[in-house]
Amino acid sequence: MSRLGTLLEQAGAILLAVIWISPLLFAFWAAFHTSSDAVSFNLLSPWTLDNFRTAWEGAPWLRYFLNTFLLVTIVLIGQFFFTTLAGFAFAKMDFPAKDFVFILVLMQLFILPEVLIVENYAMVSRLGLFDSLFGVGMPYMASAFGIFLMRQSFKSVPIELHEAARIEGCSLLGILWRVYVPLAKPTYLAYALVSVSTHWNNFLWPLIVTNSPDTRPLTVGLSIFGAPENGVDISVISAATMMSVAPLLVAFLLFQRQFVQAFLRAGIK
Amino acid sequence: MDTKPFVVLQDVAKRWNGQLGVEEISLDIDEGSFVALLGPSGCGKSTTLRLLAGLEIPDEGQILIEGRDVTTSAASARNLSMVFQSYALFPHLSVAENVIFGLKVRGVPRAERREKMARALEITGLGGLEHRKPSELSGGQRQRVALARAIVAGQRLCLMDEPLSNLDAKLRNSVRKDIKKLQRDLGITVVYVTHDQTEAMSLADKIVLMREGRIQQIGSPDDLYNRPANTFVAEFVGAPPMALIEPGIVEDLSPGRTLGIRAENVEIAKKGKGRLSCIVSEAEFLGNETLIGLEHKGVRGLTVMKPGLSLVPVGERVEVTFNNQDLHVFDEVGRRVSEQLTEK
Repeated sequence: MSRLGTLLEQAGAILLAVIWISPLLFAFWAAFHTSSDAVSFNLLSPWTLDNFRTAWEGAPWLRYFLNTFLLVTIVLIGQFFFTTLAGFAFAKMDFPAKDFVFILVLMQLFILPEVLIVENYAMVSRLGLFDSLFGVGMPYMASAFGIFLMRQSFKSVPIELHEAARIEGCSLLGILWRVYVPLAKPTYLAYALVSVSTHWNNFLWPLIVTNSPDTRPLTVGLSIFGAPENGVDISVISAATMMSVAPLLVAFLLFQRQFVQAFLRAGIK
Repeated sequence: MDTKPFVVLQDVAKRWNGQLGVEEISLDIDEGSFVALLGPSGCGKSTTLRLLAGLEIPDEGQILIEGRDVTTSAASARNLSMVFQSYALFPHLSVAENVIFGLKVRGVPRAERREKMARALEITGLGGLEHRKPSELSGGQRQRVALARAIVAGQRLCLMDEPLSNLDAKLRNSVRKDIKKLQRDLGITVVYVTHDQTEAMSLADKIVLMREGRIQQIGSPDDLYNRPANTFVAEFVGAPPMALIEPGIVEDLSPGRTLGIRAENVEIAKKGKGRLSCIVSEAEFLGNETLIGLEHKGVRGLTVMKPGLSLVPVGERVEVTFNNQDLHVFDEVGRRVSEQLTEK
């Protein structure tokens, strides 16, 4: 019975995995074939690199790559800065209404970012950051999830280390920098992986708040490139898609082990 | 010669709502001395140390170090070092970085740092382990890293919070000797918290025995052992502790007084010649001597020490005797009374 159970489980897992990966596999296959072959699903058709050439010439991809790279970097730096300070305050400092404020922060987790798009749009415009990379990244910097994660991580640091550093003459920020931040390294890594992959793939918000090729990230550039008014060529779109996801995909394959472990470790704590 | 004490605590009190802190702590500590804060868990000895360290601020009273009022000063402004029970080594730093942590924070130049570190590692016998992480060290080595960190800055006051309690018994003895030697060689003042009375007795010049947030007695190990201020001290200090005899059990020597007697002053007497007739409740062979625990109504913790192996079957009736001049006398509330009993 239990053997049959495991067999079913494994079969289910394999089935799910195949369903999940098939669009990616198809896109990969289509990217290397002419569109007529791709549409007719001719498995024996010859391979070609023409789609990549066409796609590459069709849009300022280098600029898009640079934008996305800058965007995830800006967001990550901002998130590290704010979540570290806020998490430390919630974990180790006393101030009035601390619990209440923390609950407010946690409530932010229940609100989908999409709900706030209009309000964020208005705010970013008022700040004069419309159509700038900083404006795209700003709403995500004070991440509630990040604050929660950092608070949990800082809370697990033994109080003796804090006190030892105090006696050795460290200031409060010095203790944060020299003791808490290095000890929370696994949490930072886990959080960075999530943050980078989320913001690399983020689409709706950048679509709304960017207006020019100078600020557009890859996702937005790709959607404009593949928009129906440019004519639908499934192979060229696949090639462009492969180009945009390639860096993240390669990074994931390379850091697969760290990716999973980071989560396990951050979770076990 | 300056006769002013190095550290002074004056009527210090710390209270937490509902929880017992410490009350009326007054204590003088001379420069270069080794002071042990001794007591059962929850007696306030660690709180006293933390008040001294500046990790807690007292509600009442005054703390002076080197004649300077530091009652509300920050921990870092008190010129002291501390060894924690859990060692509090930074797990992400190597041995060397742990030791010079404080020097780095205080902006000591690199060359001086290296020199001081080399000296501290040499004193504590940690040479060659500079690049290990704390997780790659044994308990005893971690302990020594904590000591090295405490002495590297050359602070003249060092606080230690049960530094030996995480070591096994054998290591504890050797590290105990190391700590004493270190203190004497460097001439530093050590305030040492422990719940282990043998540790306090063997290390300290002065013992402060505490109970429920109050000081019970301050004195040399000799004072505490031979002249306990009350029955609590009598029962806490010494292994085995002093036996207490309720009033009226021994032929009425001193009406209404509780009597105390140490195991080494009790002897087994021939039948009919003893002053108390007891039943053997346990016999413990320790190698060089045997401890025989005795039971008698109204007597607590009566023990006889016999040299070598001399086990007595449990349940046997034996008679014991003792001299009056070895008896300690306590009044109704347990305070020592300095009257001497001479006639037998």
